[in-house]
Amino acid sequence: MTTNYKRVTGDAVEYEVFARKTRAEPLHQVGSVVAPDDDLAMAYARATYDEERWCEMAIVRKDHVIELWQPGEIA
Amino acid sequence: MGTQAEFDQMIKSGELIESRNEMTPEYLRELKHTLIVSGDTELISAPAYYLAAKRAPSINAFMTGIAIIQDELAHAHIAYHILEDLGEDQEKLIFSRDPKSFRYPYAFDVPLDSWTELVVANGMYDQAGFCLLGDIHDKCSYGPWKRGLNKVMAEENFHLRNGRTWMKRISAAGGSAKDELQRAVDWMFPLSVEWFGLPDSMKMHSTQLEYRLKGLTNDQLRQWWLSTVVPYCEQIGIKVPAHKEVRDGKDVWDLDYPFPCDFDPEAKRWDFKKPATWDDVLVRWRARGPRNVEMVAMFQEEFHKFRKTHQKNGS
Ligand SMILES: [Fe+2]
Ligand SMILES: [Fe+2]
Repeated sequence: MTTNYKRVTGDAVEYEVFARKTRAEPLHQVGSVVAPDDDLAMAYARATYDEERWCEMAIVRKDHVIELWQPGEIA
Repeated sequence: MGTQAEFDQMIKSGELIESRNEMTPEYLRELKHTLIVSGDTELISAPAYYLAAKRAPSINAFMTGIAIIQDELAHAHIAYHILEDLGEDQEKLIFSRDPKSFRYPYAFDVPLDSWTELVVANGMYDQAGFCLLGDIHDKCSYGPWKRGLNKVMAEENFHLRNGRTWMKRISAAGGSAKDELQRAVDWMFPLSVEWFGLPDSMKMHSTQLEYRLKGLTNDQLRQWWLSTVVPYCEQIGIKVPAHKEVRDGKDVWDLDYPFPCDFDPEAKRWDFKKPATWDDVLVRWRARGPRNVEMVAMFQEEFHKFRKTHQKNGS
């Protein structure tokens, strides 16, 4: 995040949204939501990413993700 | 930040750009511009569709309309959220910009006043969105956007089907319902043709194409749109001012009216006897149309009201 302004709902943070359609496939990232707490983040994720009948959906706070390296960086 | 040569090589090889430090400043600028057009278009379709969905003929139809509006807001969110990752302030973009500076197609500024006009919008405007975004989904060099569009494409397909199913049903009903449908198509078809912008003959150079932010030219996208909309309308017995020609063994869709030509947005009427120049069209686009201010106020006013009461309560 490059900005530190406050949203109307207070200090909102970003969550990554993961889901999968079938048991056979792995979870993959389908998008992200911004919310002030976990409960609202779950509600936003469910309402926003409703394009499929997912058999699993999970969210995680983006600042809890530990990046080892990114595209373009040497592993 | 990579070098210009590294960046050029990535673009040339078809590699996806994944983060800001892989971009040149020019690429970043062009990407942001393309995302703003996309986000604004998705966002403004919500109030435009909502004002017409209120005229739905049944609760079920209304709920379908609302589901589509919810989709459009999620699509807008995808574009604005990427803009935020690229350093823009999402709240400012949506809630503090002057209505005239929004970058969505002029068509949305002309009021949709009935359920019939709404379903024609689903059949024609969403088809335009489907062509434009489908091309980006296919070719876009920016990874996060390309992936974000998976959801958008699935849902635009549903909007389009809703539009087509209803158009077919209304046409089959005949009588005054079909007349109303034909009148809607008469003004909405040419507005959608205009959606794709200047003809290739007038637009010499496209930075978007160069950076693989899109893959098809304006005229190629327009032809794609015509090749889906014209046959469908003919199939359901609705007249459109375009027809197919075969040139050099290829299907080409020709318009039966001077393009561009004069449009009266208040009367929702095209004057096919009055050709216009693209300068005239650009003047009309920049001035925006009848519903621009009202629609932007629909989401901006509530936001500022909410923020004010919030601050009063000291939170
Ligand atoms: Fe959309
Ligand atoms: Fe749509």
